[in-house]
Amino acid sequence: MKQPVAAPFLLRVAGVLVGCLTAVLNLLYFVLAGAALGAFLLWPRTRPRAHALLAAGARRLTGVERRRRSLFFRDAFPEHRACDQQILRYLAARTYSGLLCAVVVGLVDFGAVLAGIFAASLTHTSMTWVDILGQVVLGGTLLFLAVQGLRALTEQDARLARECFGPSERELLQRRIDELATSRAAVVRAVDVERRRVERDLHDGVQQRLVALAMLLGRARRGRTPERADALLEQAHKEAQEVLTELREVAWRVYPTALDSLGLREALGGVSERCALPVRMEYDVPQPLPSAVETAAYFVVSEAVNNAAKHSAADEVFVRVHGDGTSLVVLVRDTGTGGADPSGSGLTGLGSRVAALDGTLRVDSPLGGPTTITAELPCA
Amino acid sequence: MRVILAEDSTLLREGLVRLLAEEGHEVLAAVGDAEALLAEVGAKTPDVVVTDIRMPPDHTDEGLRAAVRIRELRPEIGVVVLSQYVERNYAAQLLTSSAERVGYLLKDRVAQVEEFLDALERVHAGGAAIDPEVVRQLLIRTTHADPLTRLTPRERTVLEALAEGHTNAAIGQKLHISLSAVEKNLNAIFDKLGLSRTTGYSRRVLAVLRYLES
Repeated sequence: MKQPVAAPFLLRVAGVLVGCLTAVLNLLYFVLAGAALGAFLLWPRTRPRAHALLAAGARRLTGVERRRRSLFFRDAFPEHRACDQQILRYLAARTYSGLLCAVVVGLVDFGAVLAGIFAASLTHTSMTWVDILGQVVLGGTLLFLAVQGLRALTEQDARLARECFGPSERELLQRRIDELATSRAAVVRAVDVERRRVERDLHDGVQQRLVALAMLLGRARRGRTPERADALLEQAHKEAQEVLTELREVAWRVYPTALDSLGLREALGGVSERCALPVRMEYDVPQPLPSAVETAAYFVVSEAVNNAAKHSAADEVFVRVHGDGTSLVVLVRDTGTGGADPSGSGLTGLGSRVAALDGTLRVDSPLGGPTTITAELPCA
Repeated sequence: MRVILAEDSTLLREGLVRLLAEEGHEVLAAVGDAEALLAEVGAKTPDVVVTDIRMPPDHTDEGLRAAVRIRELRPEIGVVVLSQYVERNYAAQLLTSSAERVGYLLKDRVAQVEEFLDALERVHAGGAAIDPEVVRQLLIRTTHADPLTRLTPRERTVLEALAEGHTNAAIGQKLHISLSAVEKNLNAIFDKLGLSRTTGYSRRVLAVLRYLES
Protein backbone atom coordinates (compact mmCIF):
# COMPACT_ATOMS: atom_id res chain seq x y z
CA MET A 1 0.00 0.00 0.00
CA LYS A 2 1.28 3.40 -0.89
CA GLN A 3 1.68 6.08 1.73
CA PRO A 4 0.37 9.44 0.49
CA VAL A 5 2.96 12.18 0.20
CA ALA A 6 2.65 14.71 3.04
CA ALA A 7 1.79 18.28 2.06
CA PRO A 8 4.31 21.08 2.77
CA PHE A 9 4.13 22.59 6.26
CA LEU A 10 2.80 26.03 5.28
CA LEU A 11 0.04 24.50 3.19
CA ARG A 12 -1.04 22.43 6.19
CA VAL A 13 -1.01 25.52 8.43
CA ALA A 14 -3.25 27.24 5.87
CA GLY A 15 -5.48 24.14 5.94
CA VAL A 16 -5.83 24.36 9.72
CA LEU A 17 -6.77 28.05 9.54
CA VAL A 18 -9.30 27.44 6.77
CA GLY A 19 -10.61 24.59 8.92
CA CYS A 20 -11.29 27.08 11.73
CA LEU A 21 -13.32 29.21 9.30
CA THR A 22 -15.32 26.29 7.93
CA ALA A 23 -16.04 25.19 11.51
CA VAL A 24 -17.61 28.59 12.17
CA LEU A 25 -19.67 28.22 8.95
CA ASN A 26 -20.76 24.75 10.04
CA LEU A 27 -21.78 26.08 13.43
CA LEU A 28 -23.86 28.76 11.74
CA TYR A 29 -25.51 26.13 9.60
CA PHE A 30 -26.37 23.97 12.59
CA VAL A 31 -27.78 26.95 14.47
CA LEU A 32 -29.86 28.21 11.52
CA ALA A 33 -30.98 24.80 10.28
CA GLY A 34 -31.66 23.67 13.80
CA ALA A 35 -33.79 26.73 14.42
CA ALA A 36 -35.68 26.33 11.13
CA LEU A 37 -36.12 22.56 11.23
CA GLY A 38 -36.14 21.94 14.97
CA ALA A 39 -39.91 21.74 15.30
CA PHE A 40 -40.26 19.43 12.31
CA LEU A 41 -37.51 17.21 13.62
CA LEU A 42 -39.42 16.70 16.84
CA TRP A 43 -42.72 15.86 15.16
CA PRO A 44 -42.67 12.18 14.09
CA ARG A 45 -44.64 12.70 10.86
CA THR A 46 -42.32 15.28 9.42
CA ARG A 47 -39.15 13.95 10.97
CA PRO A 48 -37.85 11.90 7.98
CA ARG A 49 -38.23 14.84 5.53
CA ALA A 50 -36.68 17.32 7.93
CA HIS A 51 -33.87 14.93 8.71
CA ALA A 52 -33.22 14.40 5.00
CA LEU A 53 -33.11 18.17 4.43
CA LEU A 54 -30.71 18.68 7.33
CA ALA A 55 -28.50 15.87 6.03
CA ALA A 56 -28.55 17.22 2.45
CA GLY A 57 -27.18 20.56 3.66
CA ALA A 58 -24.69 18.80 5.88
CA ARG A 59 -23.58 16.73 2.88
CA ARG A 60 -22.76 19.95 0.95
CA LEU A 61 -20.70 21.29 3.84
CA THR A 62 -19.03 17.92 4.25
CA GLY A 63 -18.07 18.16 0.55
CA VAL A 64 -16.35 21.47 1.33
CA GLU A 65 -14.48 19.82 4.23
CA ARG A 66 -13.45 16.98 1.95
CA ARG A 67 -12.09 19.40 -0.64
CA ARG A 68 -10.23 21.26 2.11
CA ARG A 69 -8.57 18.00 3.20
CA SER A 70 -7.56 17.09 -0.36
CA LEU A 71 -6.35 20.58 -1.21
CA PHE A 72 -4.32 21.50 1.87
CA PHE A 73 -3.39 18.08 3.23
CA ARG A 74 -3.11 16.11 -0.04
CA ASP A 75 -5.44 13.43 1.30
CA ALA A 76 -6.40 10.99 -1.43
CA PHE A 77 -9.81 9.58 -0.57
CA PRO A 78 -11.30 6.72 -2.56
CA GLU A 79 -14.83 6.88 -3.91
CA HIS A 80 -16.83 6.15 -0.81
CA ARG A 81 -20.37 7.22 -0.03
CA ALA A 82 -21.16 7.64 3.65
CA CYS A 83 -24.73 7.42 5.00
CA ASP A 84 -26.63 10.46 6.35
CA GLN A 85 -26.04 9.40 9.94
CA GLN A 86 -22.29 9.28 9.32
CA ILE A 87 -22.29 12.66 7.58
CA LEU A 88 -24.11 14.39 10.41
CA ARG A 89 -21.91 12.75 13.02
CA TYR A 90 -18.81 13.78 11.12
CA LEU A 91 -19.93 17.37 10.63
CA ALA A 92 -20.84 17.75 14.31
CA ALA A 93 -17.53 16.31 15.51
CA ARG A 94 -15.59 18.26 12.91
CA THR A 95 -17.35 21.52 13.89
CA TYR A 96 -16.57 20.96 17.54
CA SER A 97 -12.90 20.21 16.96
CA GLY A 98 -12.64 23.07 14.42
CA LEU A 99 -14.08 25.57 16.90
CA LEU A 100 -11.75 24.27 19.59
CA CYS A 101 -8.92 24.67 17.14
CA ALA A 102 -10.02 28.26 16.47
CA VAL A 103 -9.95 28.93 20.21
CA VAL A 104 -6.44 27.51 20.57
CA VAL A 105 -5.23 29.46 17.53
CA GLY A 106 -6.76 32.58 19.14
CA LEU A 107 -4.92 31.82 22.38
CA VAL A 108 -1.65 31.34 20.53
CA ASP A 109 -2.14 34.70 18.78
CA PHE A 110 -2.98 36.33 22.09
CA GLY A 111 0.11 34.79 23.66
CA ALA A 112 2.23 36.01 20.76
CA VAL A 113 0.96 39.57 21.24
CA LEU A 114 1.67 39.36 25.00
CA ALA A 115 5.13 37.94 24.33
CA GLY A 116 5.78 40.85 21.93
CA ILE A 117 4.72 43.42 24.51
CA PHE A 118 6.82 41.65 27.15
CA ALA A 119 9.88 41.59 24.89
CA ALA A 120 9.46 45.29 24.01
CA SER A 121 9.16 46.26 27.69
CA LEU A 122 12.30 44.33 28.65
CA THR A 123 14.56 47.27 27.64
CA HIS A 124 13.08 49.80 30.12
CA THR A 125 11.71 47.55 32.84
CA SER A 126 12.26 47.44 36.53
CA MET A 127 11.60 43.65 36.69
CA THR A 128 14.11 41.51 38.46
CA TRP A 129 15.56 38.53 36.54
CA VAL A 130 13.51 36.20 38.78
CA ASP A 131 10.30 37.87 37.48
CA ILE A 132 11.57 37.65 33.92
CA LEU A 133 12.42 33.96 34.31
CA GLY A 134 8.98 33.33 35.81
CA GLN A 135 7.28 35.01 32.85
CA VAL A 136 9.39 33.08 30.32
CA VAL A 137 8.67 29.74 32.01
CA LEU A 138 4.95 30.51 32.22
CA GLY A 139 4.80 31.67 28.56
CA GLY A 140 6.83 28.70 27.42
CA THR A 141 4.54 26.27 29.26
CA LEU A 142 1.42 27.88 27.81
CA LEU A 143 2.96 27.83 24.34
CA PHE A 144 3.84 24.15 24.75
CA LEU A 145 0.29 23.31 25.82
CA ALA A 146 -1.16 25.30 22.91
CA VAL A 147 1.11 23.59 20.38
CA GLN A 148 0.25 20.17 21.84
CA GLY A 149 -3.44 21.06 21.63
CA LEU A 150 -3.09 22.12 18.02
CA ARG A 151 -1.26 18.95 17.13
CA ALA A 152 -3.87 16.80 18.76
CA LEU A 153 -6.67 18.71 17.05
CA THR A 154 -5.12 18.54 13.58
CA GLU A 155 -4.58 14.83 14.06
CA GLN A 156 -8.16 14.43 15.12
CA ASP A 157 -9.26 16.39 12.05
CA ALA A 158 -7.35 13.97 9.86
CA ARG A 159 -8.76 10.95 11.69
CA LEU A 160 -12.34 12.18 11.44
CA ALA A 161 -11.89 12.75 7.71
CA ARG A 162 -10.40 9.28 7.27
CA GLU A 163 -13.28 7.65 9.08
CA CYS A 164 -15.93 9.47 7.08
CA PHE A 165 -14.40 9.76 3.60
CA GLY A 166 -11.89 7.00 3.39
CA PRO A 167 -12.01 3.33 4.01
CA SER A 168 -11.77 2.55 7.71
CA GLU A 169 -8.84 0.58 9.13
CA ARG A 170 -11.05 -2.47 9.13
CA GLU A 171 -11.99 -2.02 5.48
CA LEU A 172 -8.35 -1.53 4.59
CA LEU A 173 -7.42 -4.72 6.40
CA GLN A 174 -10.26 -6.58 4.71
CA ARG A 175 -9.12 -5.28 1.36
CA ARG A 176 -5.57 -6.34 2.04
CA ILE A 177 -6.71 -9.80 3.07
CA ASP A 178 -8.73 -10.13 -0.15
CA GLU A 179 -5.76 -8.96 -2.13
CA LEU A 180 -3.50 -11.52 -0.48
CA ALA A 181 -5.98 -14.34 -0.91
CA THR A 182 -6.36 -13.52 -4.60
CA SER A 183 -2.67 -13.23 -5.22
CA ARG A 184 -1.99 -16.44 -3.32
CA ALA A 185 -4.47 -18.37 -5.43
CA ALA A 186 -3.02 -16.79 -8.55
CA VAL A 187 0.49 -17.81 -7.56
CA VAL A 188 -0.58 -21.42 -7.13
CA ARG A 189 -2.24 -21.28 -10.57
CA ALA A 190 0.85 -19.74 -12.09
CA VAL A 191 3.03 -22.47 -10.62
CA ASP A 192 0.75 -25.11 -12.12
CA VAL A 193 0.90 -23.43 -15.52
CA GLU A 194 4.68 -23.41 -15.35
CA ARG A 195 4.79 -27.06 -14.38
CA ARG A 196 2.58 -27.93 -17.31
CA ARG A 197 4.92 -26.02 -19.54
CA VAL A 198 7.93 -27.88 -18.18
CA GLU A 199 6.16 -31.20 -18.69
CA ARG A 200 5.39 -30.26 -22.27
CA ASP A 201 8.93 -29.06 -22.87
CA LEU A 202 10.25 -32.39 -21.66
CA HIS A 203 7.78 -34.50 -23.57
CA ASP A 204 7.40 -32.63 -26.79
CA GLY A 205 11.03 -31.64 -26.99
CA VAL A 206 13.47 -33.86 -25.18
CA GLN A 207 11.51 -37.10 -25.28
CA GLN A 208 10.73 -36.83 -29.00
CA ARG A 209 14.38 -36.24 -29.75
CA LEU A 210 15.45 -39.20 -27.63
CA VAL A 211 12.93 -41.46 -29.36
CA ALA A 212 14.16 -40.22 -32.73
CA LEU A 213 17.74 -40.85 -31.63
CA ALA A 214 16.97 -44.39 -30.48
CA MET A 215 15.13 -44.97 -33.74
CA LEU A 216 18.19 -43.88 -35.72
CA LEU A 217 20.32 -46.32 -33.74
CA GLY A 218 17.75 -49.06 -34.31
CA ARG A 219 17.81 -48.37 -38.04
CA ALA A 220 21.60 -48.34 -38.02
CA ARG A 221 21.63 -51.81 -36.43
CA ARG A 222 19.28 -53.06 -39.13
CA GLY A 223 21.30 -51.28 -41.83
CA ARG A 224 21.68 -53.51 -44.87
CA THR A 225 25.18 -52.25 -45.70
CA PRO A 226 28.04 -50.97 -43.52
CA GLU A 227 28.01 -47.58 -45.33
CA ARG A 228 24.32 -47.15 -44.63
CA ALA A 229 24.84 -48.08 -40.99
CA ASP A 230 27.71 -45.60 -40.73
CA ALA A 231 25.66 -42.78 -42.19
CA LEU A 232 22.85 -43.49 -39.73
CA LEU A 233 25.28 -43.66 -36.80
CA GLU A 234 26.70 -40.28 -37.78
CA GLN A 235 23.18 -38.85 -37.82
CA ALA A 236 22.50 -40.43 -34.45
CA HIS A 237 25.63 -38.85 -33.04
CA LYS A 238 24.54 -35.43 -34.26
CA GLU A 239 21.08 -36.03 -32.84
CA ALA A 240 22.58 -36.87 -29.44
CA GLN A 241 24.27 -33.45 -29.41
CA GLU A 242 20.94 -31.85 -30.27
CA VAL A 243 19.24 -33.67 -27.39
CA LEU A 244 21.85 -32.30 -24.99
CA THR A 245 21.35 -28.76 -26.28
CA GLU A 246 17.59 -29.13 -25.95
CA LEU A 247 17.93 -30.44 -22.41
CA ARG A 248 20.13 -27.49 -21.47
CA GLU A 249 17.55 -25.12 -22.94
CA VAL A 250 14.69 -26.74 -21.06
CA ALA A 251 16.61 -26.63 -17.78
CA TRP A 252 17.41 -22.98 -18.39
CA ARG A 253 13.77 -22.19 -19.03
CA VAL A 254 12.79 -23.93 -15.81
CA TYR A 255 15.25 -21.86 -13.78
CA PRO A 256 18.24 -19.92 -15.01
CA THR A 257 20.99 -20.89 -12.55
CA ALA A 258 22.93 -17.82 -13.66
CA LEU A 259 20.49 -15.81 -11.54
CA ASP A 260 21.90 -17.33 -8.37
CA SER A 261 25.53 -17.43 -9.33
CA LEU A 262 25.98 -14.35 -11.51
CA GLY A 263 22.98 -12.14 -10.81
CA LEU A 264 20.18 -10.58 -12.79
CA ARG A 265 22.32 -8.74 -15.29
CA GLU A 266 24.10 -11.86 -16.52
CA ALA A 267 20.89 -13.88 -16.61
CA LEU A 268 19.26 -11.16 -18.75
CA GLY A 269 22.29 -11.31 -21.02
CA GLY A 270 21.44 -14.99 -21.47
CA VAL A 271 17.89 -14.05 -22.47
CA SER A 272 19.06 -11.69 -25.21
CA GLU A 273 21.58 -14.25 -26.48
CA ARG A 274 18.83 -16.85 -26.79
CA CYS A 275 16.41 -14.49 -28.50
CA ALA A 276 16.10 -14.63 -32.27
CA LEU A 277 15.52 -10.84 -32.37
CA PRO A 278 18.12 -8.20 -31.54
CA VAL A 279 17.58 -7.05 -27.93
CA ARG A 280 18.74 -3.60 -26.76
CA MET A 281 19.28 -3.71 -23.04
CA GLU A 282 19.58 -0.78 -20.62
CA TYR A 283 20.46 -1.91 -17.13
CA ASP A 284 20.70 0.63 -14.38
CA VAL A 285 20.41 -0.87 -10.91
CA PRO A 286 22.83 0.69 -8.45
CA GLN A 287 22.24 -1.51 -5.40
CA PRO A 288 21.81 -5.27 -4.91
CA LEU A 289 18.22 -6.54 -5.19
CA PRO A 290 16.28 -9.03 -3.08
CA SER A 291 16.42 -12.40 -4.82
CA ALA A 292 12.62 -12.71 -5.18
CA VAL A 293 12.59 -9.40 -7.06
CA GLU A 294 15.47 -10.51 -9.27
CA THR A 295 13.68 -13.73 -10.16
CA ALA A 296 10.41 -11.96 -10.94
CA ALA A 297 12.19 -9.32 -13.03
CA TYR A 298 14.03 -12.05 -14.91
CA PHE A 299 10.85 -13.92 -15.77
CA VAL A 300 9.06 -10.74 -16.83
CA VAL A 301 11.84 -9.95 -19.30
CA SER A 302 12.24 -13.53 -20.46
CA GLU A 303 8.51 -14.11 -21.07
CA ALA A 304 7.98 -10.71 -22.70
CA VAL A 305 10.99 -11.08 -24.98
CA ASN A 306 9.96 -14.61 -25.96
CA ASN A 307 6.42 -13.45 -26.69
CA ALA A 308 7.77 -10.63 -28.84
CA ALA A 309 9.96 -13.06 -30.78
CA LYS A 310 7.13 -15.56 -31.22
CA HIS A 311 4.04 -13.50 -31.89
CA SER A 312 4.71 -9.82 -32.52
CA ALA A 313 6.51 -9.84 -35.88
CA ALA A 314 8.80 -7.21 -34.34
CA ASP A 315 12.31 -6.63 -35.62
CA GLU A 316 13.74 -5.35 -32.34
CA VAL A 317 13.06 -5.51 -28.62
CA PHE A 318 14.06 -2.85 -26.13
CA VAL A 319 14.51 -3.75 -22.47
CA ARG A 320 15.09 -1.30 -19.64
CA VAL A 321 15.69 -2.35 -16.06
CA HIS A 322 15.90 0.60 -13.74
CA GLY A 323 16.16 0.61 -9.94
CA ASP A 324 16.07 3.54 -7.53
CA GLY A 325 16.42 1.79 -4.18
CA THR A 326 12.70 1.63 -3.37
CA SER A 327 11.44 -0.08 -6.50
CA LEU A 328 12.60 -1.76 -9.67
CA VAL A 329 10.94 -0.86 -12.95
CA VAL A 330 11.20 -3.34 -15.80
CA LEU A 331 10.09 -2.19 -19.23
CA VAL A 332 9.99 -4.32 -22.37
CA ARG A 333 8.92 -2.74 -25.64
CA ASP A 334 8.91 -4.28 -29.10
CA THR A 335 8.42 -2.78 -32.54
CA GLY A 336 5.78 -5.34 -33.48
CA THR A 337 2.13 -5.39 -34.40
CA GLY A 338 0.63 -5.34 -30.89
CA GLY A 339 -2.57 -7.10 -29.95
CA ALA A 340 -1.02 -9.07 -27.06
CA ASP A 341 -3.65 -10.67 -24.86
CA PRO A 342 -3.11 -9.81 -21.18
CA SER A 343 -5.39 -12.71 -20.20
CA GLY A 344 -3.18 -15.27 -21.97
CA SER A 345 -1.63 -17.88 -19.70
CA GLY A 346 1.90 -16.50 -19.94
CA LEU A 347 1.02 -12.90 -19.11
CA THR A 348 -1.45 -13.95 -16.42
CA GLY A 349 1.30 -16.00 -14.79
CA LEU A 350 3.62 -13.01 -14.92
CA GLY A 351 0.94 -10.78 -13.42
CA SER A 352 0.52 -13.24 -10.55
CA ARG A 353 4.23 -13.45 -9.97
CA VAL A 354 4.49 -9.67 -9.82
CA ALA A 355 1.34 -9.27 -7.71
CA ALA A 356 2.73 -11.74 -5.19
CA LEU A 357 5.48 -9.21 -4.51
CA ASP A 358 2.95 -6.34 -4.28
CA GLY A 359 4.09 -5.08 -7.64
CA THR A 360 2.07 -4.07 -10.67
CA LEU A 361 2.22 -5.31 -14.26
CA ARG A 362 0.86 -3.23 -17.11
CA VAL A 363 0.40 -4.54 -20.62
CA ASP A 364 -0.14 -1.90 -23.26
CA SER A 365 -0.61 -3.46 -26.66
CA PRO A 366 -2.86 -1.59 -29.08
CA LEU A 367 -3.57 -3.23 -32.43
CA GLY A 368 -0.84 -2.11 -34.78
CA GLY A 369 1.65 -1.98 -31.92
CA PRO A 370 3.95 -1.33 -30.28
CA THR A 371 3.59 -3.59 -27.25
CA THR A 372 4.92 -2.26 -23.96
CA ILE A 373 5.05 -4.37 -20.83
CA THR A 374 5.95 -2.56 -17.63
CA ALA A 375 6.44 -4.19 -14.26
CA GLU A 376 7.02 -2.23 -11.11
CA LEU A 377 8.40 -4.25 -8.20
CA PRO A 378 8.82 -2.80 -4.72
CA CYS A 379 12.25 -3.63 -3.27
CA ALA A 380 11.63 -2.71 0.35
CA MET B 1 1.66 -52.51 -46.15
CA ARG B 2 0.28 -49.03 -46.83
CA VAL B 3 0.57 -46.71 -43.85
CA ILE B 4 -0.67 -43.24 -42.90
CA LEU B 5 1.24 -41.48 -40.11
CA ALA B 6 0.12 -38.71 -37.78
CA GLU B 7 2.77 -37.27 -35.49
CA ASP B 8 3.29 -33.60 -34.63
CA SER B 9 7.01 -33.78 -33.98
CA THR B 10 8.59 -33.28 -37.42
CA LEU B 11 11.73 -35.05 -36.36
CA LEU B 12 9.95 -38.18 -35.26
CA ARG B 13 7.59 -38.13 -38.23
CA GLU B 14 10.49 -38.01 -40.68
CA GLY B 15 12.25 -40.80 -38.78
CA LEU B 16 9.17 -43.00 -38.93
CA VAL B 17 8.68 -42.34 -42.64
CA ARG B 18 12.29 -43.35 -43.34
CA LEU B 19 12.11 -46.42 -41.13
CA LEU B 20 8.93 -47.68 -42.79
CA ALA B 21 10.31 -46.98 -46.25
CA GLU B 22 13.49 -48.91 -45.42
CA GLU B 23 11.35 -51.83 -44.34
CA GLY B 24 9.61 -51.76 -47.72
CA HIS B 25 6.30 -50.32 -46.54
CA GLU B 26 4.52 -47.61 -48.43
CA VAL B 27 3.80 -44.38 -46.51
CA LEU B 28 0.73 -42.84 -48.18
CA ALA B 29 0.78 -39.69 -46.06
CA ALA B 30 2.50 -38.26 -43.01
CA VAL B 31 0.65 -35.44 -41.23
CA GLY B 32 1.00 -33.36 -38.07
CA ASP B 33 -2.51 -33.19 -36.62
CA ALA B 34 -5.71 -35.19 -36.18
CA GLU B 35 -7.78 -33.20 -38.63
CA ALA B 36 -5.36 -33.79 -41.49
CA LEU B 37 -5.21 -37.45 -40.48
CA LEU B 38 -8.98 -37.88 -40.84
CA ALA B 39 -8.89 -36.08 -44.18
CA GLU B 40 -6.11 -38.36 -45.48
CA VAL B 41 -7.86 -41.50 -44.25
CA GLY B 42 -11.03 -40.30 -46.01
CA ALA B 43 -9.16 -39.85 -49.28
CA LYS B 44 -6.85 -42.89 -49.30
CA THR B 45 -6.94 -46.57 -48.47
CA PRO B 46 -4.24 -47.39 -45.91
CA ASP B 47 -3.87 -50.80 -44.28
CA VAL B 48 -2.69 -49.32 -41.01
CA VAL B 49 -2.82 -45.86 -39.41
CA VAL B 50 -0.21 -44.91 -36.83
CA THR B 51 -1.10 -41.86 -34.73
CA ASP B 52 0.29 -39.99 -31.77
CA ILE B 53 -2.30 -39.28 -29.07
CA ARG B 54 -1.20 -35.77 -28.07
CA MET B 55 -1.36 -33.46 -31.05
CA PRO B 56 -2.19 -29.82 -31.81
CA PRO B 57 -4.21 -27.75 -31.15
CA ASP B 58 -4.68 -28.70 -27.47
CA HIS B 59 -2.16 -31.48 -26.98
CA THR B 60 -4.61 -33.66 -25.08
CA ASP B 61 -6.18 -36.70 -26.78
CA GLU B 62 -6.84 -35.49 -30.35
CA GLY B 63 -5.10 -38.49 -31.90
CA LEU B 64 -7.03 -40.95 -29.76
CA ARG B 65 -10.36 -39.42 -30.73
CA ALA B 66 -9.38 -39.60 -34.39
CA ALA B 67 -8.38 -43.24 -33.92
CA VAL B 68 -11.73 -44.14 -32.33
CA ARG B 69 -13.47 -42.32 -35.19
CA ILE B 70 -11.47 -44.23 -37.83
CA ARG B 71 -12.39 -47.52 -36.13
CA GLU B 72 -16.07 -46.60 -36.32
CA LEU B 73 -15.99 -45.49 -39.96
CA ARG B 74 -13.43 -47.87 -41.45
CA PRO B 75 -13.08 -50.97 -39.25
CA GLU B 76 -10.99 -52.67 -41.94
CA ILE B 77 -8.12 -50.23 -41.26
CA GLY B 78 -5.71 -51.20 -38.53
CA VAL B 79 -5.04 -48.44 -35.97
CA VAL B 80 -1.98 -48.09 -33.77
CA VAL B 81 -1.88 -45.24 -31.26
CA LEU B 82 1.28 -43.99 -29.61
CA SER B 83 0.92 -42.71 -26.05
CA GLN B 84 3.29 -40.68 -23.88
CA TYR B 85 2.16 -42.49 -20.75
CA VAL B 86 0.26 -45.59 -19.79
CA GLU B 87 -3.29 -44.27 -19.77
CA ARG B 88 -5.78 -46.90 -18.72
CA ASN B 89 -8.76 -44.88 -19.95
CA TYR B 90 -7.26 -44.29 -23.35
CA ALA B 91 -6.47 -47.94 -23.80
CA ALA B 92 -9.97 -48.92 -22.66
CA GLN B 93 -11.62 -46.41 -25.02
CA LEU B 94 -9.69 -47.76 -27.94
CA LEU B 95 -10.13 -51.44 -27.17
CA THR B 96 -13.70 -51.70 -25.92
CA SER B 97 -15.34 -51.61 -29.36
CA SER B 98 -13.27 -54.59 -30.46
CA ALA B 99 -9.68 -55.63 -30.08
CA GLU B 100 -9.00 -56.52 -33.66
CA ARG B 101 -6.60 -54.56 -35.87
CA VAL B 102 -5.69 -52.31 -32.99
CA GLY B 103 -2.51 -51.33 -31.19
CA TYR B 104 -1.77 -49.26 -28.11
CA LEU B 105 1.93 -48.62 -27.76
CA LEU B 106 4.01 -46.33 -25.63
CA LYS B 107 5.80 -43.79 -27.69
CA ASP B 108 9.17 -45.01 -26.51
CA ARG B 109 8.38 -48.38 -28.07
CA VAL B 110 9.08 -46.80 -31.46
CA ALA B 111 12.70 -46.63 -30.38
CA GLN B 112 12.77 -50.44 -30.20
CA VAL B 113 12.52 -50.74 -33.92
CA GLU B 114 11.98 -54.51 -34.11
CA GLU B 115 9.21 -54.51 -31.54
CA PHE B 116 7.49 -51.59 -33.19
CA LEU B 117 7.59 -53.16 -36.63
CA ASP B 118 6.42 -56.45 -35.17
CA ALA B 119 3.46 -54.74 -33.50
CA LEU B 120 2.55 -53.09 -36.82
CA GLU B 121 2.65 -56.46 -38.56
CA ARG B 122 0.42 -58.02 -35.91
CA VAL B 123 -2.18 -55.25 -36.23
CA HIS B 124 -2.02 -55.51 -39.99
CA ALA B 125 -2.69 -59.24 -39.72
CA GLY B 126 -5.88 -58.55 -37.77
CA GLY B 127 -4.49 -58.95 -34.26
CA ALA B 128 -3.85 -56.62 -31.34
CA ALA B 129 -0.64 -55.10 -30.07
CA ILE B 130 -0.68 -53.81 -26.54
CA ASP B 131 2.50 -52.42 -25.10
CA PRO B 132 4.15 -54.82 -22.63
CA GLU B 133 4.62 -51.86 -20.28
CA VAL B 134 0.89 -51.12 -20.34
CA VAL B 135 0.14 -54.72 -19.57
CA ARG B 136 2.74 -54.77 -16.77
CA GLN B 137 1.29 -51.67 -15.12
CA LEU B 138 -2.26 -52.95 -15.39
CA LEU B 139 -1.21 -56.21 -13.81
CA ILE B 140 0.37 -54.34 -10.91
CA ARG B 141 -2.86 -52.46 -10.34
CA THR B 142 -5.09 -55.49 -9.98
CA THR B 143 -6.54 -55.96 -6.52
CA HIS B 144 -7.49 -59.04 -4.53
CA ALA B 145 -11.14 -58.75 -5.48
CA ASP B 146 -10.07 -59.19 -9.06
CA PRO B 147 -10.39 -62.64 -10.70
CA LEU B 148 -6.96 -61.96 -12.14
CA THR B 149 -5.47 -62.52 -8.70
CA ARG B 150 -6.54 -66.15 -8.89
CA LEU B 151 -4.17 -66.82 -11.76
CA THR B 152 -0.93 -68.71 -11.18
CA PRO B 153 2.31 -66.88 -12.05
CA ARG B 154 2.67 -69.02 -15.19
CA GLU B 155 -0.90 -68.21 -16.26
CA ARG B 156 -0.15 -64.56 -15.67
CA THR B 157 2.85 -64.57 -17.99
CA VAL B 158 0.79 -66.36 -20.62
CA LEU B 159 -2.01 -63.79 -20.29
CA GLU B 160 0.55 -61.00 -20.49
CA ALA B 161 1.91 -62.37 -23.74
CA LEU B 162 -1.65 -62.83 -24.99
CA ALA B 163 -2.47 -59.23 -24.15
CA GLU B 164 0.49 -58.09 -26.16
CA GLY B 165 -1.28 -59.69 -29.09
CA HIS B 166 0.87 -62.75 -29.69
CA THR B 167 -0.49 -65.93 -31.23
CA ASN B 168 -0.43 -69.24 -29.31
CA ALA B 169 2.61 -70.42 -31.25
CA ALA B 170 4.46 -67.16 -30.56
CA ILE B 171 3.57 -67.36 -26.87
CA GLY B 172 4.98 -70.87 -26.76
CA GLN B 173 8.23 -69.71 -28.36
CA LYS B 174 8.45 -66.68 -26.12
CA LEU B 175 7.99 -68.65 -22.90
CA HIS B 176 9.78 -71.78 -24.09
CA ILE B 177 6.78 -74.05 -23.51
CA SER B 178 4.93 -76.39 -25.85
CA LEU B 179 1.89 -75.31 -27.83
CA SER B 180 -0.35 -77.69 -25.87
CA ALA B 181 0.92 -76.21 -22.59
CA VAL B 182 0.00 -72.76 -23.88
CA GLU B 183 -3.50 -73.96 -24.78
CA LYS B 184 -3.93 -75.60 -21.40
CA ASN B 185 -2.88 -72.41 -19.64
CA LEU B 186 -5.21 -70.33 -21.78
CA ASN B 187 -8.18 -72.58 -21.01
CA ALA B 188 -7.44 -72.27 -17.31
CA ILE B 189 -7.29 -68.49 -17.69
CA PHE B 190 -10.60 -68.33 -19.59
CA ASP B 191 -12.18 -70.47 -16.89
CA LYS B 192 -10.96 -68.31 -14.07
CA LEU B 193 -12.07 -65.15 -15.83
CA GLY B 194 -15.50 -66.60 -16.55
CA LEU B 195 -14.96 -66.66 -20.31
CA SER B 196 -15.21 -70.40 -20.89
CA ARG B 197 -18.53 -70.14 -22.71
CA THR B 198 -17.47 -67.53 -25.23
CA THR B 199 -15.61 -68.87 -28.22
CA GLY B 200 -13.11 -67.92 -30.83
CA TYR B 201 -10.80 -64.97 -31.00
CA SER B 202 -13.02 -62.62 -29.00
CA ARG B 203 -12.29 -64.71 -25.90
CA ARG B 204 -8.67 -63.70 -26.14
CA VAL B 205 -9.68 -60.08 -26.52
CA LEU B 206 -12.06 -60.19 -23.59
CA ALA B 207 -9.34 -61.66 -21.43
CA VAL B 208 -7.15 -58.71 -22.33
CA LEU B 209 -9.97 -56.30 -21.65
CA ARG B 210 -10.26 -57.65 -18.13
CA TYR B 211 -7.14 -55.62 -17.45
CA LEU B 212 -8.51 -52.51 -18.92
CA GLU B 213 -11.81 -52.41 -17.10
CA SER B 214 -11.66 -49.59 -14.64
